Amino acid sequence: MKKKIASLLLSMTTMAMVLTGCGSSAPSSDQGATATIKDGEVATAASVSDKAAQAIADRKAEAEKSGKYEKVVIAFFDWTGRPAGLDRVNEALSAYTEETLGLDVELMIIDSAAYGDDMKLMLSSGEQVDLFSTCILGYNPSINNGYVLDLEENGMFDDYCGGIKEKIRADYLDACRVGGVLYGTPPIKDYAIETCAVCVGQEYLDAIGYDVSKLPTSDLGYPRATWDDINDIYAQLHEKFPDKYVMAIQDNELTQGSSVDNIAGDYFGTLLDPQNSLKIEDVYESDIFKEWAQRAYEWNQAGYLSQDALTDTTGASAKVKSGSYMAMMACCKPGYKTQISGECGRDMVVFDVGESFMSSSSVSSFPWCVNQNTEDPVATLQVLNALYTDSTIETLMCWGQEGKDFKVNSDGTITYADGVDANNSEYYPNVLWLMPNPYVTYVWQGDPLDLGQQIADFNDNCTCKSKALGFTWDNTDYASEYTALKNAYDEYGPKVVYGFVEPEQGISELVAALKAAGLDDYMAGKQEALDAWAAENGIN
Amino acid sequence: MASGKTKTKKKNFKRYIPLYVMAFPGLLYLFINNYLPLPGLVLAFKKFNAKKGIYGSPFVGFKNFKYLFATKDAFVITRNTILYNLVFIIVNTILAIFVAILLAEMTSRIKKAYQSFILLPYMISMVIVSYLVFGFLSTENGFINNSILKPMGLDPISWYMEKKYWPFILVFVSAWKGVGYNCVIYLASILGIDRSIYESAAIDGASKWQQIFKITIPLLKPTIVMLTLLAVGRIFYSDFGLFYQVPQNQGALFSVTNTIDTYVYRGLLELGDMSMSSAAGLYQSLVGFILVLGSNLVVKKIDPEYALF
Repeated sequence: MKKKIASLLLSMTTMAMVLTGCGSSAPSSDQGATATIKDGEVATAASVSDKAAQAIADRKAEAEKSGKYEKVVIAFFDWTGRPAGLDRVNEALSAYTEETLGLDVELMIIDSAAYGDDMKLMLSSGEQVDLFSTCILGYNPSINNGYVLDLEENGMFDDYCGGIKEKIRADYLDACRVGGVLYGTPPIKDYAIETCAVCVGQEYLDAIGYDVSKLPTSDLGYPRATWDDINDIYAQLHEKFPDKYVMAIQDNELTQGSSVDNIAGDYFGTLLDPQNSLKIEDVYESDIFKEWAQRAYEWNQAGYLSQDALTDTTGASAKVKSGSYMAMMACCKPGYKTQISGECGRDMVVFDVGESFMSSSSVSSFPWCVNQNTEDPVATLQVLNALYTDSTIETLMCWGQEGKDFKVNSDGTITYADGVDANNSEYYPNVLWLMPNPYVTYVWQGDPLDLGQQIADFNDNCTCKSKALGFTWDNTDYASEYTALKNAYDEYGPKVVYGFVEPEQGISELVAALKAAGLDDYMAGKQEALDAWAAENGIN
Repeated sequence: MASGKTKTKKKNFKRYIPLYVMAFPGLLYLFINNYLPLPGLVLAFKKFNAKKGIYGSPFVGFKNFKYLFATKDAFVITRNTILYNLVFIIVNTILAIFVAILLAEMTSRIKKAYQSFILLPYMISMVIVSYLVFGFLSTENGFINNSILKPMGLDPISWYMEKKYWPFILVFVSAWKGVGYNCVIYLASILGIDRSIYESAAIDGASKWQQIFKITIPLLKPTIVMLTLLAVGRIFYSDFGLFYQVPQNQGALFSVTNTIDTYVYRGLLELGDMSMSSAAGLYQSLVGFILVLGSNLVVKKIDPEYALF
């Protein structure tokens, strides 16, 4: 049993590492309207229906009688565990919500490494958690284990969450429905990605005298390149810096480097042309994968990659930061240059090689959910609504207290308060991308004030939206196939992806192993569920 | 224990009260940690749903167990788990006894230092061990490739992609890490042996070899049998760190490094399904339980003196 716990803990740590690697995204901005942030103002007063006002009045009356406000607990995680200033922030929050919502709010911030385990225990043991982020925990597993509440029970969502409906487009909300039931609301963030963003250190490009300005500029403002351009740059880099590795390669050729839709969270059966077709196909037999394998193989043969690439699990940006690697590939979005330059500790040039894409699970990857065990669903839903609409609450949740944790600059952005820095900060959760709506509050220094609008446009303008947007699949019945497939992939896949085997041979081994592990059955299961979902939702 | 039979049970009880008091915290711990959760085993036969709770969730029979057996990998993971553990039991026992005897025979002052050095690896976390191993085996910067194979004019080996070396590497690492601990237990038993036996043997002209094989090892037998029986009980469990961390979770090595624990871990990590995890756990403990009973029975048949119970 101890070993079980140890391994679980371990799993959580690994997962957290994965998440730190790819998740630190979405720097904040309000929707270009800092002026709306005034103390004590409920941003969407118009959306508060009579029922909601009544519920608040009732709670206040109740509190008057008992002398105690009822409490709503909100759980999410950060990277360093409970912030030192959390009690202070919670007090400030409750002081505000007692007025506006007639209840106390308590943030429960758990270390990312422990979040999954802690939440499972609390959700199944009946401890008080009312609202929680399903990041790490998983949206589908949460539903399968029965942790979450149907938000639309008795029309609650319509009555008390009007503000959310204004903030989140209906099709994004619908994308979080599982079996027609709405169990959660997505955080407002970038749902689309711009695939294949090749990031190269500015200093290295300068050293080879590469002129970025000769490339056209993409919609996002990054230089637009082809793979031939990139290969040309790589070759020059390798020649100039023979002691450095050219590229920190990762197993992200499909997740970040293609518009293949990983139906239900895995690539065992995918939509190769997600914009036009709902046919589940094997991506590993496709030309998309073959091209990648060929590319990686050539890079490896040319000596661009580390021979320890398979074993070294350090994140790509950390590798670039170390100074031994010069380039990496990720996916980008507005504001990405600032983010990746920060992660890599040097100025990075982002080459846009791909296209914009919104996968089926992009919106529903980690919605906010309500515990089925919550004592007062109405109060909890009202808090959920406030998280999306109320700038005061969201500011406290994202940034802490003004003057103590942050201060407002003259240009409207914010930075650490006087005497506070990254090392002694008492409240800086650094998980904006999972916050319900980080765009109703301030923007951190260095980001454009209209970042919220830019992200919204980026989502809206995405050209390649998966037809299966919002489809989720419960693979519990195929658990043994899934495990066998994952094992088969882990055995034969990475070698191909990192270019350590000749593509033809490597791919045929991989495909054969996946077939033997039951890929056809698994794909048939997906297809059947997808067809049923499509029929139900009138998509063809 | 069995030899201390006195006349009345009551008297016995009174006499042992201080011992019972001393044992109480331990027993309490055992009860809370090992016995209270037992009813939860029912989870292995249910489809867990937090809304309905553990006991309210619907029964699904043996469906959760199917997961372990419905895969083609079932054979490989069972084989790896059992064979590795068998080899570990044999190799580690022999090495531990060997080292314990060496230490016991040693009279110099640095004996304690040796003992500590041998025990040290046991204290190191597997994650750290995995990086020590990586220091040796890294393809580009590893000690073996750079400082041994290269000077000898041999081609470097991609250790983490070649299956054939791993059974040896794993056995070596397991021995290096585990021998110290077992050896301490054996050493304690050896030091507990009455010195006068050795003295009289020496007077009778027995050589060191004869003393070891005719006195030490026969008298160690109960300890050996006990430790081996305990190890056999865990034969269906594998040292997760050893099989997951040390090969750096490398897919290319799965066919020689995948065991029941790592397989279940990789599969269920993403599913987060409590019922299936408990099914796997129940299966492992049940088989372990049967194996312990079985081997104890065999030992009892051969020599009742050495049986655990």
